Amino acid sequence: MAETPTAGEAPDVPAQVFEKFLADLAAAGLPKDMIGRLRTTLIDERAFSDRALRAAVLAEEPLP
Amino acid sequence: MIRIESIVIKEFRGIRDLTLNFNGKNFGICGPNGTGKSGVVDALEFALTGNVSRLSGEGRGGISLKTHGPHVDSRDAPDKARVTVTVTIPSLSKTVTIERTVKAPAIARVTPSDDAILAVLKKVQSHPEAVLSRRELIKYVLATPGDRAKEVQALLHLDQVEQVRTGLQKIANACERDVKTLNADATAASDSLLKALGIPTLARDKVLAAANAQRAILGLASLSELTDTNSLKDGLATAEPGQTQRIAKAQALEDIKTARDTLAELTGPATAVLVTTAQNELRALASDPAIASGVTMESFYATGLRLIAAEACPFCDTTWDLTALKKHVQGKIDHLKEVSRKRKVAEETLVPLTALLRRVQSSLETLARHAASATPLLAVQAVKDRSAACSATITTLSAFLPVADTIAGVAGLTSVPRPVYEAIAALEKVVATLPEPSKQGAARDWLVVAQERLDHYRMAKRQQKAATEHATRARQVSDLYAGASDGVLAGIYSSVQNDFAALYGFVNRDDEDKFAAKLKPSMGKLGFDVDFYGRGFFPPGAYHSEGHQDGMGLCLYLALMRHLHGAGFTFAILDDVLMSVDAGHRREVCALLKKEFPKTQFVMTTHDPIWLRHMKTENLISGRAFAQFRRWDVDHGPMEWDDRDVWTEIDDYLKQNDVRSAAALLRHYLEYVSAELCHRLRVPVEFRGDAQYQLGELLPAAIRQMRKTYSSAKDAANSWGQKDEVAEVGALESNFGALATTSQAELWQVNVAVHFNSWDNLVPKDFAPVAKAYRDLLGGFACSACSDLLRITPDREGREALRCDCGTTNVNLKMKPKKA
Repeated sequence: MAETPTAGEAPDVPAQVFEKFLADLAAAGLPKDMIGRLRTTLIDERAFSDRALRAAVLAEEPLP
Repeated sequence: MIRIESIVIKEFRGIRDLTLNFNGKNFGICGPNGTGKSGVVDALEFALTGNVSRLSGEGRGGISLKTHGPHVDSRDAPDKARVTVTVTIPSLSKTVTIERTVKAPAIARVTPSDDAILAVLKKVQSHPEAVLSRRELIKYVLATPGDRAKEVQALLHLDQVEQVRTGLQKIANACERDVKTLNADATAASDSLLKALGIPTLARDKVLAAANAQRAILGLASLSELTDTNSLKDGLATAEPGQTQRIAKAQALEDIKTARDTLAELTGPATAVLVTTAQNELRALASDPAIASGVTMESFYATGLRLIAAEACPFCDTTWDLTALKKHVQGKIDHLKEVSRKRKVAEETLVPLTALLRRVQSSLETLARHAASATPLLAVQAVKDRSAACSATITTLSAFLPVADTIAGVAGLTSVPRPVYEAIAALEKVVATLPEPSKQGAARDWLVVAQERLDHYRMAKRQQKAATEHATRARQVSDLYAGASDGVLAGIYSSVQNDFAALYGFVNRDDEDKFAAKLKPSMGKLGFDVDFYGRGFFPPGAYHSEGHQDGMGLCLYLALMRHLHGAGFTFAILDDVLMSVDAGHRREVCALLKKEFPKTQFVMTTHDPIWLRHMKTENLISGRAFAQFRRWDVDHGPMEWDDRDVWTEIDDYLKQNDVRSAAALLRHYLEYVSAELCHRLRVPVEFRGDAQYQLGELLPAAIRQMRKTYSSAKDAANSWGQKDEVAEVGALESNFGALATTSQAELWQVNVAVHFNSWDNLVPKDFAPVAKAYRDLLGGFACSACSDLLRITPDREGREALRCDCGTTNVNLKMKPKKA
């Protein structure tokens, strides 16, 4: 029988995806400032709107 | 996360007043259809999440929690419909009470309450999948790949993952659209520059050569290099103030020809075909009213969907059904997505038309600048107007909405009024009459125009480069995200797939111990194929029976929950989920749950008493960790087979002079308890394939078995030389014999009170002794300390002991082995 896949409580699948994504961006040599903005947006602020993502990727200030 | 200790349900669904004590352990709820089992499930779900999925799923019509959550007699008093659960939170070592009313389902009164407790309960609330009915279970097995992906993604809470994926895709697509537009601008600027320079290709050495030739005529030093910033006309004297700008004759004639060619293309047959295609796409789209809302509304709805949490509109306080509202909004989003796809197709048809308009506008603007330099000033208002019209149409087509405006813009796109041609002809006439410039004058004109166009070209290239960099980065980010999410999800699906196959293989190890499965994520869908006895992989519904599919659904659910919650998978409510699974495999399911999920509390409902018995014999549930509903009526709700309640109820009937009801209840209870006794005491009874045993077949047999058991116990005690034990068992045997005699149960055929339903002839004082005799008799089958019915252990093979669950009664039945 398979082992219990995770020993800890409730792994956050979105967070797993985001962390892997940020690591892949760094490995691909993308700008650190953009990766930092994406970390803030996805992990810290949990903001997933198109506007927030565009601001993070293209360094565009969100419209007021 | 949590374990459930108890639940108190009042005026909720079909339940008037019911308390069940789970004590944090597995619990079985059994009863015929319509006795209130699912009402308990609803109440648990309601207390933990504020919702009842049975009242809010698809196809529920006008049914809602608010209206139909309360008991029918309390439908106008939703505040009376109240559920209270007591739970323990192992991670915090705390016990908490949660209370909700249907009047305010979103508000949970939590006692005690602190941030840590509320965080755990919020997490529980966000996982309604802890309640699983067969309706939900089968979705994992028989759904289409797209729908299955949605179900699994909802279970794994992947909506955020998908939202980011979609958002990054949109950004990449938008950036690439910008690049297309700026590419067209850069191409037009390049063409214009090449014409001014009079060279075929834009190479630095050729540009320098052309410029230096003109500079030599003017006595200017040659340029040694062409950087991104230097000027072709370096050193050229600027015009004196007040000096009129002259028309560069040769360039003007070239520009007039370009403008005519461009207008000819605009009004030609190829453009007419493009216009017709675009109009067809646009008209098809315009017939859908949702297009007016467009992407803005899609974004608005998506934001709204995430924010809907309260039970009433924040603007006008009108109450709404939360789940129905979410479904409604999601439907709008889905429709808008289809509209969005159609819009993309229509927008693609506009791209070449927009590019052509840009070239027309650019060429007409150039002519207008030449006209402004003419002496006397030449009025070319028609050219300016057409140029402005081109600009306006480009704006309309780029904005796309309203579609009616775009359709009108496309319709008028090829129209070129006669005054435009007349103005061009007038300009051509003026230019033609200009004297040929001197060699120096022509060189000067050449350098001025060339630099002007070079500046425009440089700006267009800078914009193009910046947009291309954005587009490249956005696409790279989008692709990396897709790869990362696919990789993580593939890992999850692989793990779940293996765990699922192992769980299912355990339940079906009699003939599918080598079972395997494949979960295949692809393009937002989730394929699911299972091995069929080594003959290949097929969809679950292809060859496996309905019972096997139910088993697959449960095993996939358990694998997903174990992956999702890890050690936090502490409870699940399984509402009659194995109704199509046969008895043997249900037993294996019991063994599976006990072996693989020892730290998970399962609350299970079933209409099948045999499965409840399996739960007990497999030790999935122990002691009194079950409720057996015997009947339900609208006035009282579900009623349990609880012996204490039964005798009180019989007494109450007799006090009301209702012998008929008292006798009927006694008979039904004896039928139920006799079957239980025969099971526990391993009573040999003539087998019936339909399992429809009569009371007269079961109770006398149970009594005979009990007597025989005591006799065996005395023999066993004698074989060990335990004289005290012999005496004690003898006393028990004697007492039991007296009870049996009093009840006259062995003379069943003469017990008219119960067997022949002749209660109409009895009065309470005649029936009361009969009821008392049976109550005493059943007491003889039970432990004097815990009141549980005694049972023979083990439940198969040689009989070793007569015992109870509390351990107070433990009578040896095993003989001392004889010496060889």
